[in-house]
Amino acid sequence: MPFNQKPQKFNANINTVEIGCGDKAIKLGGECTFPFYTFDAPTENAPKVGVEISDMGLINVPGIQEYYAGAATMAEIAKKAEAMEGADFVCLRLEGGDPNGADKSIEELIAVVKEVGEAVSCPLVVEGCKNVEKDSELLPKVAEALQGKNVLVLSAREEDYKAVGAAAGLAYNQKVGAESAVDINLAKQLNVVTTQLGVKAQDIVMNVGSAAVGYGFEYVVSTMDRIKGAALSQNDNMLQMPIITPVADETWGVKEAMASEEDMPEWGPLEERGISMEVQTAAAVLASGSDAVILRHPKSVATISKMIKELV
Amino acid sequence: MTLFETVFSGNDAVYGLTEGAINAAIEQHGADKAVSFPNTAYCLPCYYAVTGVKVKTLGELKEALGVVKTLMTREMRLNDVFMSGVATALCAEFIEVLKYIDGAEPYTEPCYGHLADAVIRELGVPLVTGDIPGVAVILGSAPTKEEAVALVKSYQAQGILVTLVGGVIDQVAEAGMKTGANLRVIPLGKDVTSVIHVVSVALRAALIFGNVTPGDAANLMKYTFERVPAFVNAFAPLDDVIVACGAGAIALGFPVITNQEGVSTVPKSLILQPDVSKFNATSLEARDIKIKITNIDIPVAFASAFEGEIIRRGDMQVEFDGSRVDCAELVQSAEATEIEDHKITVIGPEADEMELGSKNSIAYVVKVAGKNMQSDFEPVIERKFHNYINCIEGVYHTGQRDMQRIRISKDAFNAGFRLKHIGEVLYASVKNEFDAVVDKCEVVIYTDPAECKRIRHEVAVPTFNKRDDRLKSLTDESVDVYYSCILCQAFSPSHVCVVTPERLGLCGAVSWLDAKATNELDPNGPCQVITKEKCIDERIGEYEDVNEAVRKFSQGALEEVSLYSIMEKPMTSCGCFECICGIEPFSNGVVITNREYAGMTPLGMTFPELASMTGGGVQTPGFMGHGKHFIGSKKFMKAEGGIERIVWMPKELKEFVAERLNQTAKELYGIDNFTDMVGDETIATDPEELVAFLTEKGHPALGLDPMM
Amino acid sequence: MGLSGIQIFKLTPKKNCKECGCPTCMAFSMKVAQGALEISKCPHMSEDALAQLSEATAPPMKTIKVGSGDNEFTLGGETVLFRHEKTFVSKTRYAVSLCTCMDDAAIDAKLAAIPKVDYERISERMFVEMIYVNYEDGADKDRYVEIVKKAAALGRTLVLGCKDVEAAKAALAVCKDGKPVLNGADASNYAEMSAVATEAGVVLGVTGADLNELYDTVAALEKAGNKNLILDVGTKSVKEAYGNAVQIRRAALKDQDRTFGYPTLVNLAVLAHGDRNMQQALASLFTMKYGSIVVMEQLDYAEALPLFGLRQNVFTDPQKPMKVEPGIYALNGADENSLCLTTVDFALTYFVVSGELERSGVPCNLIISDAGGLSVLTAWAAGKLSSTSVSKYIQENVEDKVKCRKLVIPGKVAVLKGDIEAKLPGWEVIVAPLEAVQLVKFLKDLTA
Repeated sequence: MPFNQKPQKFNANINTVEIGCGDKAIKLGGECTFPFYTFDAPTENAPKVGVEISDMGLINVPGIQEYYAGAATMAEIAKKAEAMEGADFVCLRLEGGDPNGADKSIEELIAVVKEVGEAVSCPLVVEGCKNVEKDSELLPKVAEALQGKNVLVLSAREEDYKAVGAAAGLAYNQKVGAESAVDINLAKQLNVVTTQLGVKAQDIVMNVGSAAVGYGFEYVVSTMDRIKGAALSQNDNMLQMPIITPVADETWGVKEAMASEEDMPEWGPLEERGISMEVQTAAAVLASGSDAVILRHPKSVATISKMIKELV
Repeated sequence: MTLFETVFSGNDAVYGLTEGAINAAIEQHGADKAVSFPNTAYCLPCYYAVTGVKVKTLGELKEALGVVKTLMTREMRLNDVFMSGVATALCAEFIEVLKYIDGAEPYTEPCYGHLADAVIRELGVPLVTGDIPGVAVILGSAPTKEEAVALVKSYQAQGILVTLVGGVIDQVAEAGMKTGANLRVIPLGKDVTSVIHVVSVALRAALIFGNVTPGDAANLMKYTFERVPAFVNAFAPLDDVIVACGAGAIALGFPVITNQEGVSTVPKSLILQPDVSKFNATSLEARDIKIKITNIDIPVAFASAFEGEIIRRGDMQVEFDGSRVDCAELVQSAEATEIEDHKITVIGPEADEMELGSKNSIAYVVKVAGKNMQSDFEPVIERKFHNYINCIEGVYHTGQRDMQRIRISKDAFNAGFRLKHIGEVLYASVKNEFDAVVDKCEVVIYTDPAECKRIRHEVAVPTFNKRDDRLKSLTDESVDVYYSCILCQAFSPSHVCVVTPERLGLCGAVSWLDAKATNELDPNGPCQVITKEKCIDERIGEYEDVNEAVRKFSQGALEEVSLYSIMEKPMTSCGCFECICGIEPFSNGVVITNREYAGMTPLGMTFPELASMTGGGVQTPGFMGHGKHFIGSKKFMKAEGGIERIVWMPKELKEFVAERLNQTAKELYGIDNFTDMVGDETIATDPEELVAFLTEKGHPALGLDPMM
Repeated sequence: MGLSGIQIFKLTPKKNCKECGCPTCMAFSMKVAQGALEISKCPHMSEDALAQLSEATAPPMKTIKVGSGDNEFTLGGETVLFRHEKTFVSKTRYAVSLCTCMDDAAIDAKLAAIPKVDYERISERMFVEMIYVNYEDGADKDRYVEIVKKAAALGRTLVLGCKDVEAAKAALAVCKDGKPVLNGADASNYAEMSAVATEAGVVLGVTGADLNELYDTVAALEKAGNKNLILDVGTKSVKEAYGNAVQIRRAALKDQDRTFGYPTLVNLAVLAHGDRNMQQALASLFTMKYGSIVVMEQLDYAEALPLFGLRQNVFTDPQKPMKVEPGIYALNGADENSLCLTTVDFALTYFVVSGELERSGVPCNLIISDAGGLSVLTAWAAGKLSSTSVSKYIQENVEDKVKCRKLVIPGKVAVLKGDIEAKLPGWEVIVAPLEAVQLVKFLKDLTA
């Protein structure tokens, strides 16, 4: 008696959201199964990998410095990021805007945005500085500056979804990233209010929050598992937005990736630890249902992209 | 003349002018001559938005005028007035576009005329977010230059976008006031027809931000009415043309406020306000615009970091103590007309007229009004006072109702803090946090001892009593809806609390009234309305609608729940329940234990053991988490016979619930001092001994049908 | 599936004899329903009831024990496909792979590297728990036995990757007391292999060319009476291995197909083709879904730190939060004069707060008192973080060790400030910002 295979194809799909223009445009989402369950139904669009660059320049990791060697301007950095093996899109983080950090002016940041926007032809994701007040001013300007490029703007949050959603989603026809803090109900609530604002559900990509593995990652797993479950089995259209997860930002800041080799001689090379954190966290969020991940190290990008290809 | 006649006559006049102007232009330039406004993708935006047709030449403009004519019906019905208003506005747009023929620049500093799409995208975002809370259209000349400036500045201070048409432009310019889009004061033009440029902004906003399809006039008007918070201030004298334009504004949902005596007013739409200094307040109220308060004007800091401050006697300037003298704090709902927003009155001595270190009376009454305000929200708002007042640096508050105690520190006093500032804090906090229900708010602070006595005994205490009576009279049967609460889903993913008047959330913290207020204040939040129209089984309290809601909110994990049974489809438990009850088979009853009690129960399990079996959002027949107050409820496991099933509770819990439980037992079964029959840890923690005790006491559970 | 505690209780003798170790029959029934006790613990159950219950309460996935002594591990026994539904009970175990195809130097180097990774993370020892010893067809059997001996000497649980009956017998002869896994049965040799495994009393690993063949082989083994199995998901491709791992688990738990109700083994040493980063990506993937034993070519610190962290997170019981030990944690080279900050013992809070404090570079003492492993607001609401708990801990454990008398409390419990000051004479209590991310700036301003 052979194994009685029971495929679990759902009668619901994750929304397909296109980012970018022309040949290099990418599609996020579209699936009707749990991640990589190709035995249930073919994967509609393979998850995508993005390369993170920052207005604050490159982090001091040899492999990253080496990869970008010779790139002096943001435009050159962006071009190298775009050319990275396995890269589907580029994510520009404007962390220099943080009032508690470099506190760059909006004009200065928009100049960077324009420079990068003109330099690359691949899809672009732009992430703010995470300070709500600053982002609610900055991100509408970003959406304006990149009109016609169909970029994804990260992120609209509970506090600033009106400003970011109205600018990116309504005024300038970009895609809106809706960011919530690792809770299915918060994620859903944000999608509800953002759509009530007039933003089309098909123009929203969720960032449901993340963590590095080992740092409360169980909440990330359960939040994503539950969102995909509700989206597919309950056909809950307020949770059917594809998920994007900025992984690099979480993983390169934890102790395992930061502690110096002098302090932790037995742990081995810092760079290897950083890659390990990034690669393993990315693989885990993809296994939980992320439709895109944002990474930093060339080796991580190549590895995760290869893993995705082998799985779909 | 009636309003109808005025509008029709104004409309006819403008139509005549437009027809003449278009004919003259065709004669001069030919019908193929291009017409357009600069920097817009929407041709003639108003006409395009209303009809879906793009007009590009003078010939097409003439055709369009024919369409406009069809709007100009002359029945004496309100709709005809509105349509004639719209027709007048469209004519104005036609007249204005003619000014731009051949790339002319008809408007010069400071006037803007037509506004580019880019300006609308930029202004649209703060309009959608509420950063620009409203759009004022000021038309004509104010009685004096000073009044004009004062009015414009009052809006500017509130962040409202101001557009100016006509004589007011010269008035503010003469006064030296700066204008411009960056200052959010935009002079449009001196002809009345230039008012169309702000209408054009509103309609393009609907197309861009509202996804309204051009030509879908119904949705267009719906969007402008619901989402574009504009209003018109039209100064006397009003001529027929202005009134006709006003009718157009009203059709879009924008009220017109005027000081023209004798005008035929229309409630909520055409409003007479003879006093220009009150235009602002009248306009905001008419358009339902609420201004966010970002800055509380007090001389000390206000932040949650000060919540835990304690003011010691030595550091104290003055204190107020409800346990010694007459004090009270109260929220009262009132009619909007009875309240002057942001009015703060102190009746009696201020803090600087009180002796250092003295004990005084205080009673503050916060009067609130709002379309969605309900008296049930009064205690919900009132309960926040403790939190608000404590967040003031150098002020300390405890207690509530007529038993509050307040201390003001010497430092705060020396920094200039006075009692009226408590009023400021209450005003700003209530308006900000409860903006969904509070439109207007006024604070009266009494310190005069006689007045405090009166307020306390004649106003506050009767209100408190009334509220308590209301709470007692609230039953599951007396309300139409219940509420869901999913606050705990972060911990227990599939758990859903169904909160009813007689069954509060199992954490003990969310009553039916709390859930109701939470829902009203945050309609997309954790508490949602659950109807209870389709009863399946009255005995166990099962409803089709409740099941549906539970299924939805648990993402399908839960199918069916009953409200009143612990054996059949019991409600799930999260992790934060105050108590757990579990079936005790040997006595035919249930044992209840609470979080604070660490010891053994006659079930052979402790609270943590029971919690690990019951929690996590799964149904565990025979076991259920619940709040302490549920124990005295008539609905407590009603399906299995109710509270007479209770055979054991920890002593402390038993004492805590005794009064209500005994009262319910008396009412339901005529049993006196029921709790005397209920075991506790000092009597037995073993089922056999418990049964012996219950037998001795003649506990009613022993005689009931077996529970399983 | 599953019976409720009440249903089980009805079948018990209701004598409260306590012989099962529970105070009452009800408590016993509830534990059985939870899967915490077996029905057979009750000595007074009637034959009828037993038969009725054993079938109904039998878990959909078997719990398989491997290893012995301190190295005994429980695999399988899962009841849910997603951790939020209940809890994953048996952690993924990691094995490092040795092979007869390697030379002695390489084998010695690997064996020397394995014990290096050994550390503690939130009260859990993290180390390489297993060693996979692969026998390549046709290799020298004596050498295989030697390698197995060397590996066994490290005191880890072994998995013997061996399809040769004789080699397996020889290897088991030297290591069977350690209860290794014999991963070597397939459609062609299962009868003999099963006999070898049963004889040695060890768990048998089964492979198949595809899921159907694997299914048939397992069914045949079960029929022959061997239900002490582990299923190898195969090494043909990553895609197939993942598909097999998911479908095996899903068939058992969702579709109640007990033939597939066994733990699985995933061999990344083969699947990753020597690509280190691919291997760790896959190790993470199969920890998430649903590898019981994951075999790797090596597991050094860089790979172990995230992997064990992930495993600790994924296999947490949602109802039992992870806690750190109470104590004074000196950060950034703090001494007795450095500023004191306090927060709760919830592991996530501790990690986030200590991470931000380290980022600030400001020397400080982070004081953790017992708050039941709850987050700040939850602990406060539950009364486990109070002015009394904080002041008592500081008086008993901190005052004699630290001279600084400035204490920073979490912004979310600003309300405790006055009470703590009253209970801790001589201390200045400062309220921190609401969110941990604001700590860096706060500390810089405070110490500026």
